[in-house]
Amino acid sequence: MRDGKKIATAFAALLAFLALGTGIGVSSTFRGDRALGEYLAAECVTCHQKSGKVVGGVPAIVGWPEDQFIAVMHAYQKGERENPIMRTMAGQFKEDELLALAAYFGSLKAQR
Amino acid sequence: MTTRRDILIGTGAIAAASTLPAPTVLGQAKPRVVVIGGGAGGATAAKYIAKDSEKKIAVTLIEENPNYQTCFHSNLFLGGFRDYKSILHDYAKLQGHGVDVARARAQVIDRDKKQVVLADGRRIAYDRVVVSPGIDLKYDSVPGWGKEHEERMPHAWKPGAQTRLLKRRLDAVPNGGVIVMIAPPNPFRCPPGPYERISMFAHVLKRTGKTKSKIFIIDPKETFSKQALFQEGWDKHYKGMIEWLGPKVHDGVKSVDPKTGTVVTGFETYKNCALVNVIPAQMAGAIARDSGLANQTGYCPILPESMKSTLDANIFVLGDATIAGDMPKSAFSANSQAKVAAMTIRGELIGARTFPARYANTCWSLIETDDTVKVGGAYEAKDGKITASSTFISKTGETADLRKQTQAENMGWYAGIVEDMFG
Repeated sequence: MRDGKKIATAFAALLAFLALGTGIGVSSTFRGDRALGEYLAAECVTCHQKSGKVVGGVPAIVGWPEDQFIAVMHAYQKGERENPIMRTMAGQFKEDELLALAAYFGSLKAQR
Repeated sequence: MTTRRDILIGTGAIAAASTLPAPTVLGQAKPRVVVIGGGAGGATAAKYIAKDSEKKIAVTLIEENPNYQTCFHSNLFLGGFRDYKSILHDYAKLQGHGVDVARARAQVIDRDKKQVVLADGRRIAYDRVVVSPGIDLKYDSVPGWGKEHEERMPHAWKPGAQTRLLKRRLDAVPNGGVIVMIAPPNPFRCPPGPYERISMFAHVLKRTGKTKSKIFIIDPKETFSKQALFQEGWDKHYKGMIEWLGPKVHDGVKSVDPKTGTVVTGFETYKNCALVNVIPAQMAGAIARDSGLANQTGYCPILPESMKSTLDANIFVLGDATIAGDMPKSAFSANSQAKVAAMTIRGELIGARTFPARYANTCWSLIETDDTVKVGGAYEAKDGKITASSTFISKTGETADLRKQTQAENMGWYAGIVEDMFG
């Protein structure tokens, strides 16, 4: 006979694991405050165009998976990535602000 | 409450260039924001208020010019790195965002009646004003020079005809000709600008084989923005062509003679100069001063958390006209400040969400082809002013590769900011 309690416990643990944010199938509404992200992005969009258009040495950052966006920002915060503008920009954000930015930029689609 | 009928008061006829937006329901008033000045501060403010207010705010932008030539990257035009058309932009797309662009000159803000008075006498009622008028030149700050001399000795510190004039004059400098720049005292628009311009002068002379020419900078300042970087670059690329003189050496400009192209300093006299570029002392644009928004410095004090004037709770001042704490007078700063003002206004007028103010700036300067340096920071409202929370600056001895990357960034930023302002 199957142990229903064990299965239920395992299932609950799986849900909790997913909800904590492995980045797999987690909705952005559980993570960043998109409206806050849009406001904070005001500083970003003069260089990183919202349309995703790339000019010169400034990469497009629209539509990035949120965890990857946050990972790159962490790398700037830790000094693992070089660009001094990005180190300064990333350095001013708290974790919930990074989540907000990731949610906002992740929600944008590159335009042709 | 203002209605469509009493928004324009005065001579009656509505100019063809201005089309007022109709209210969604006749007799129901939308709050109205009037933005004065269509540059980096004003165009950004108008766009951000209009596009993020779900059509609940009427936005009128008053700008006297049909298009906008950016001062930023005008040095690159002087140096032959950009053509003139590429630094010229129009307001067509702003209208698409719902901004009523009125081609007119705003004369003064009648703060008691809450009306903007145009030069032709028409009045526009407002709930809030954003004034981003740029700078005016103190024409009496260099002995012997005045407005009547700005063709013979151009400033090109306000864009348009002066920029094109300076380009023609630069290209006409003969081999062996002397260029003298009289640099401005603090505080002035674009701290590294004069020195990027010097670099562009030298680049043009070098590129056209006029290496016998000489450039002098007579500076009232002991130090200038990115000084070590510029001096390293001038030494590397333009050896022997550029001489910067500080106030202790030149002892002040005693007089200039625009007719003979002469500059007299306490140290030496430069006769028959091929080009004298006078960049005089500066102050906030006239409308800000005439409306009582400036203090004794000639610039406008603002509240750091909102960009509101400290002198009028319904008026926001942006950009070069302001006293903005640690932020330099730059287009990037004006664009950044505009967004804080826009957010504050939407919060006040339609209850939109607001967040603590944050600002940013980066200034890129091109020294020679693919050799660009930058300086900048992030800022917040702290200790009663806009305070830098973090800053950065290029370093001497950086690799050519990094400097080339920095120039690529510079070009990317320009495309981005004009899209942000006008797109």
